[in-house]
Order: sequence, then C-alpha cells, then structure tokens
Amino acid sequence: MAVRVEEQVLPTWKDGAVMRWVTSVDHKKIGLIYIWSAFVFFVGGGSMALAIRLQLAQADQEIATQGSFNALTTMHGTVMVFLFAMPLLAGIGNYLVPLMIGARDMAFPRLNALSLWIYMIGAIVLLGSFGAKGGAAQAGWTAYTPLSGPDYAPELGQDLWILGLHLVGISSLLGSINFLVTIVNMRTQGMSWTRIPLFVWSMVAQSILILLTIPVIAAALLLLLLDRQAGTSFFLPDGGGSAVLYQHLFWFFGHPEVYILVLPAFGIVSEVIPVFARKPIFGYKAVAFSSLGIALISMIVWGHHMFTVGLGDGLNGFFMVATYLVAIPTGIKVLNWTATLWRGNLTFRTPMLFAVGMVALFLIGGLSGVVVANYPVDYQLHDSYYIVAHFHYTIIGGMVLGIFAGLYHWFPKMTGRMYDERLGKWHFWLFTLGFSLTFVPQHMLGLMGMPRRVYTYDREGLFEVYNLVSTIGAWLMALAVLIFIVNVVRSWRSGPRAGSDPWLADTLEWYASSPPAEHNFDSVPYVASHRPLRDLRRRLGGERDG
Amino acid sequence: MSRRRLLLAVLLVGVALALPHAGLAQYNGGIAPPDSATEGGSQINDLYWIVMGVTIAIFLLVEGAIVWFVLRFRRRPGTSFEADAPQIHGNTRLELVWTVVPFLILVAILVVTIVKVPSVEARPDAGDESLVVRVAGHQFYWEYTYGNGVVSVDTLRLPVDRPVRLELVAYDVIHSWWVPELTGKRDAIPGTTNTLDFTVTRIGSFRGQCAELCGVQHAVMRTTVEVVPPDAFDGWLAAEAKAQAAGASELGRQTWEGVCAKCHGLDGKGGYGPAIAGNSLLADPAGLAALLAEGRDNPQVDGYMPAVSGSWPGDGRQLEALLAYIASTPELAPAGADGQGG
Repeated sequence: MAVRVEEQVLPTWKDGAVMRWVTSVDHKKIGLIYIWSAFVFFVGGGSMALAIRLQLAQADQEIATQGSFNALTTMHGTVMVFLFAMPLLAGIGNYLVPLMIGARDMAFPRLNALSLWIYMIGAIVLLGSFGAKGGAAQAGWTAYTPLSGPDYAPELGQDLWILGLHLVGISSLLGSINFLVTIVNMRTQGMSWTRIPLFVWSMVAQSILILLTIPVIAAALLLLLLDRQAGTSFFLPDGGGSAVLYQHLFWFFGHPEVYILVLPAFGIVSEVIPVFARKPIFGYKAVAFSSLGIALISMIVWGHHMFTVGLGDGLNGFFMVATYLVAIPTGIKVLNWTATLWRGNLTFRTPMLFAVGMVALFLIGGLSGVVVANYPVDYQLHDSYYIVAHFHYTIIGGMVLGIFAGLYHWFPKMTGRMYDERLGKWHFWLFTLGFSLTFVPQHMLGLMGMPRRVYTYDREGLFEVYNLVSTIGAWLMALAVLIFIVNVVRSWRSGPRAGSDPWLADTLEWYASSPPAEHNFDSVPYVASHRPLRDLRRRLGGERDG
Repeated sequence: MSRRRLLLAVLLVGVALALPHAGLAQYNGGIAPPDSATEGGSQINDLYWIVMGVTIAIFLLVEGAIVWFVLRFRRRPGTSFEADAPQIHGNTRLELVWTVVPFLILVAILVVTIVKVPSVEARPDAGDESLVVRVAGHQFYWEYTYGNGVVSVDTLRLPVDRPVRLELVAYDVIHSWWVPELTGKRDAIPGTTNTLDFTVTRIGSFRGQCAELCGVQHAVMRTTVEVVPPDAFDGWLAAEAKAQAAGASELGRQTWEGVCAKCHGLDGKGGYGPAIAGNSLLADPAGLAALLAEGRDNPQVDGYMPAVSGSWPGDGRQLEALLAYIASTPELAPAGADGQGG
C-alpha cells in the first residue's frame, strides 16, 4: 500500500538512475555515496603522497619543489583527514548504524542528505583552491599563523582552504548530531546500552568528540579568515595578536581529531575479530567504555603538539602526564582484542587479516606515541620525520587498516556479493609490506635530523637509502590499492551471491537481506544480548535439535 | 620454503651492499638521536633509551602474544568455520591487572623523566656567566648577534665548555632552531623571546636546520655550529668585531649567500626568485635598504619578497658589507657601477 502511494507522489524527474541517488534520503545510499567519494579523494590524496615521495626519493631532486611541494604536503594532509578519513567513516557509520540498532533509517534523513551535499560542496571549494591564482594553500594542514596570515600567504588558495574546511566541519557537526539522536532514540526493542554493537559505541564516542571540538576549529578558522580579510590581528604578532593562541585552538581540535578518525576503526575491529574468532569480544564493557575514556582524556592532551613552543616545564609536564593517561584506555583495547584471539577458532579471511594487522601495526604507533609524549625526548623528535612516521602508524596502521577490514567485512552486506579472497589477501600483504617499508625508515630519518615538510635534502649514504626505501614502499601501497579497486569493481559486478549472513555474524545488520531493502527490516528480533543473531541461531538450532 | 630463503638472501645481500655507503657511525643508523655534544642532549638520549627500553619490552610481549595466538589458535583442518570457540566473555581480574600494570609503568617513566628534567636544560650556576647569543629566524636564514655587536649569518661560532644561552626571536613567521647533535629544538616565534641553554662539550662542526615549516625555502634554511676552544673563540670574536667595524670581514659574502642567494641563486641569475644579477638596485644603498626592510609584494609573479633585514645592526654595517661584496663580484655588480654604488 505504502509503496503504491510513493509511486504516485514522487515526481518523475526523480526516476533516473542518477537522480535517484542524488535525491535519496536513504541512509544506505547516502552511506555509499560518502564511501565512494571519500575513496576517490583517498586516491587523490594518495597520488599527492606519491609525488611527495618521488621528490624525496633521492637528494637534490627537482620534481616538485618549494611552493608546489608545500601545496602538495598541505593538501595531502587536508584531503586525507577532511575529505577521505572523516567522510569515509561517516559513510560506514551511515550505512551500518541504523542497521545495527534495528532502525529503519537515521533519525533525520533529510539532514543526513544535507550533511552529505555540504561535504561535497566543501570538497569542491577545498580542491578548487588548486585553480586559484597562486595555487592551493601552502601553509601545512595545520596552517600555523603568521605563515597562513595575510602577509605570508596572500594567495586566495588559503581562503578557499578555510572556507572548504568550514563547510566540511558543518557537515561533520550535522552528521554527529544525527548519529547521537539516532543511537539514543531509535534502538530496537531490548537493545539497552550494554547490548549495542561496539561499532555503534565507537560512533557515540566519535560523535561526542566531533560535537565538542569542531566548533573550536571553526572558531579558529573564522578568526584566521578575519585576520586575512578584515584587517583584524587575533593571531598576528605585528598587530598585537598571538601566534601561539592559534596553535592552542588548532590542537584543541587537532588532537581529538586523531581519535575522531581512529575510534570508529577501533569499533570496526571490535566487530570483525569476534566473528572470525567465533568468540564474544573479551571484555565488552571495557572496550565500550574505554572509547569514552579515550574521547574525554584526548581533550586535555593538545599541548603535546607544542612542547617546543616554550610553554615551560609546568605545562609541558602536565600535557605529558595527560598524554600518558590516554595511553591506558588505548592499551586496554589492544589487550582486549589480543585476548579475544586466545582460544578462538580463528579463520583468516581478508577482513580478519586486516583486523589483526591493524592491532599489530597500530601497537607500533601507540608505543612510538609513548616515546614522543616524553617532552624532553620530543625536543629532538618534534617536527621531524619521526613524527610523520608516528602519526602515519596511528592513522594508516590504525584507521586505514581498520577501514579496509570493515569494507571487506561488510562488502557482501552492501553489495549482496562476495569479494575475491585471493585478491583480498594480495591487497593485505602488499599493503602492509609497502606500509612498513614506507614508514619504518622514516623513524630513522627523523632521528638522523630530517625535519618534516622539507622538499629536499643534501645528505647521502644511509640517509638517502632510507628515503629511497620509503619511496619504494609508498608505490607498493599504491599497487595494493589498485588491486583493491580491481577486486571491488569486479566483485561488485560478478562476484558470487553472498546471502544475507555469509559470516554467521552476531549483529542485527546481518538479519537484513544483502543488500538490505530500502526499509531495512520486515521485522527485527527482540534483542536480549549484544549478540542477537547468535542468540537467534541457537534458538533455531535448538528447535531443530529438539 | 625455498622461495622464502631466496627472498631472505636477496634482502641480506641488499643490506650488505648498502652498509658500506652508510654513515652508520655518526648517526647510529638512526636508531636513536645522534651522540650529543652537550650534557643536556645526552640526558635526552638517556631518556630516549629508557622509554625505548620499556616500549620495546611491551612491543615484544604483545606482538609475541598476537603471533602466538594467531599460530596456535588457527582453525584446525576438519573444524568448520562456524564452530564455536569457548565463549569467554572476559576476566575482570586479568583486565584489572592490565590496566594497573601499564599505569604503574607509565608512572615509573614519569618519575624518571621529572627527575631528569632539570639536567636536560641545565642553566649555569649562579656565579657563571653565560655567553648570550641572539638568534633571529628569518625567511630563510638565521642571524646570530653576539653581545659585542658581531653578526653572523647561518654560521654560529661557539666556545667549548662554556655555558651558552640562545635568545630566539623571529621577524616574520615561526621558525625552529634545531641542531640534533647538540640538543633538542626550540621554536623562534614572532612576538616572544624563547631561550635555550646548553654547554657544548666537544669541539667540532655541527649541522642543523629550521624544523618548523616557514615557507617556500624552509628546506634550505640550514645552519652550521662551529665549536672551537675558548681562547680561539675569544680571539675570533675580538678580531671579527674589528673586521666588521672596518668593513673587512666575510659578512658581505655570508649575507649574500645566506639572505639573498637562497631565492635568487648564488650567481644572482634567479632561482625561486627572479634574476637580480646586474640589477641597478644592487648598487643603490637607499633603494636596497628600503627593499630589504619592507619586502615587496609583486603582483607580476606569484608570491612576494619578505622583509629580511629586521635584525640587522643599526649602524648599517651589514648592508654596507653586502653592497661591497656585490660591487666586488663582477657577475653580480650592475654595469657602470664602480664599487661604491650610485
């Protein structure tokens, strides 16, 4: 009945294949658009990284130098964080959260579509800066003042960068409100807070962080825009402003941002490992609540990005202690995942490979974080390639591997088809090999005195060898991503049918068909634990046996 | 199996070939900060190894557990994918242990760090006088000014075994002074003065460079620290003061190479910035002084020239030295200029 009414009401111009996607308010379609477009930006930002690595493969090269190199590093960072990582997570969250909590859609479907298209416009504005006179922004993804101010970055590219980030920020804010309202209000019968899937928990923590920190960066960027265009000097020492104030505001957002990126990936891994270990997660509550712990503590650690600013031993000491505190909930998660493997019935399909790979490699990023959080040691390591290596271990080793785990895990749900296992394994091994070759030597380069964001160096020997290895590794990662693309395109078109629950998993999204119908569920089973589908299987199995 | 061995052999040969080229000795192969030539820097290295030791131990323990579990608990042949493993939901006591133990380890690291902090940046005893050098960060060079007015571009000369205090300032954007073999870095921020204290204990030449992105030529904002015996330093400082007053020092060449050449090329034929060799402004003291003091927005080309002379001595000696150097260098001097400009 309802279906027939819709057919009559919908105007015919919405019938085309494209318009059906553009005008959709279905969380699954919106999620897929997020995922696809974010992945396009991943390829774009990755290409910039490849150009950076080519320039640095040998000493004294001239492939991309000076301004164009600075634009590459600036835009690589900005695109990866704001156009790839956050939207991709928003996409996965959009697709999964309503399904996982047994809801028909997000709480505000139209707001959801608005978030998506504001993000698109923001992306166009941000990337449009490449076409601006003087080129894209060059002041680094951190855009420290006064370098990003009117005197030293007079070009329009910096303004477009600010406006683009404003738009993307608004999109994230609207999205996080939508997630919180959805998760608070729309859980199906029986799904109490200790029965929601851990991925949904991680989206709760992430949304709280977005809600609390994006307004701060928005304010900082607005003040920067006023400094540039309206003659104020909030951050300009020449006019009585403070360059350091900008850093405080930026990192008050910038550090939680790391957890905004990595928490949902933690959530994904917490879903994947139990399924392929045929066990429940070890310590559900610890994993769920440590997300909140990480989120809260991460808001008082920002000064560890500013140890060399000269804040004094008192403040440096405070931020060091706070940073060490945040290592504890993070460590708890790693140990809980490890313990989930213990006595499991482990099957290493591609999602599991990526999930366990994530635990193993993220650990390195976490431990090097303990090294750099020691502020006298950071006097040496700050702004060097060691930092570049450290945060790529947390972001790629943590987030990107987690995302790949998730994309493979839910590929059958999203497409109704199974990916190619052989290509998936090639992807995993090539990607992690390339990743290690790229970033292990960068630790050494930093310790040998290579600052980040330099377009050239004049030292030979081991210094050059490390740089060359790093470049080779980056291209291996690119090859691995190419394999992933081939896998996705081929499997989406002609992979074997997957069925609704190929992994015999535990959470509600596997109760819907693959891909799920527009209204998600015809009925939702009553939820009596955090593994409702397992409960259902056991009930049915029990009936058959009995 | 044989393929793995081949891979290993290739890897070993590769490493063996790479090693002789590598400056392993000086930089530890990059496994730690370089051996430090200051007491504070050595303290940082000690701390680094303490923290590294702890993290390596945790790394081995946890990665070992992961690898062991992965090998030990792989699905056995004959077991089906969906066969239930033991349904272990957690263990409160164990989880408590792995919350408290890391906490205690971190507290231990913190205590050691806080005990060591005072010696990382050891200020001189009350009686001792530090040698104070003012360090000005500019796009894209370092200017060092000594107490007696001697200035130097990109090269800092210091005495061994005498406490040094650097006063770091910046005249345009933020820079960061970093010489890894001496000690950690410290930012030079416009609008504030930062200090960095250390005592060099080894004679030698140490290289460093700006560590905070400062613009297009950030990568070539390098510096050298020459550490010499105290009496040699005192002699040099006195002699250099006389030479600079008399206009007979190397300051002009240093200024050209450090301030001008990074953008305009050593031969003035252009690089990042336009070619300026032979430009009449190079022999026009008033015009050049104004350009260097104010910089220039140039709508004809992308970008601008920063103001570069903010930290130059008030008596004009650096500009004079630069003009004299240009005039005495045939490929730079404008045609018709006779060495005195105008």
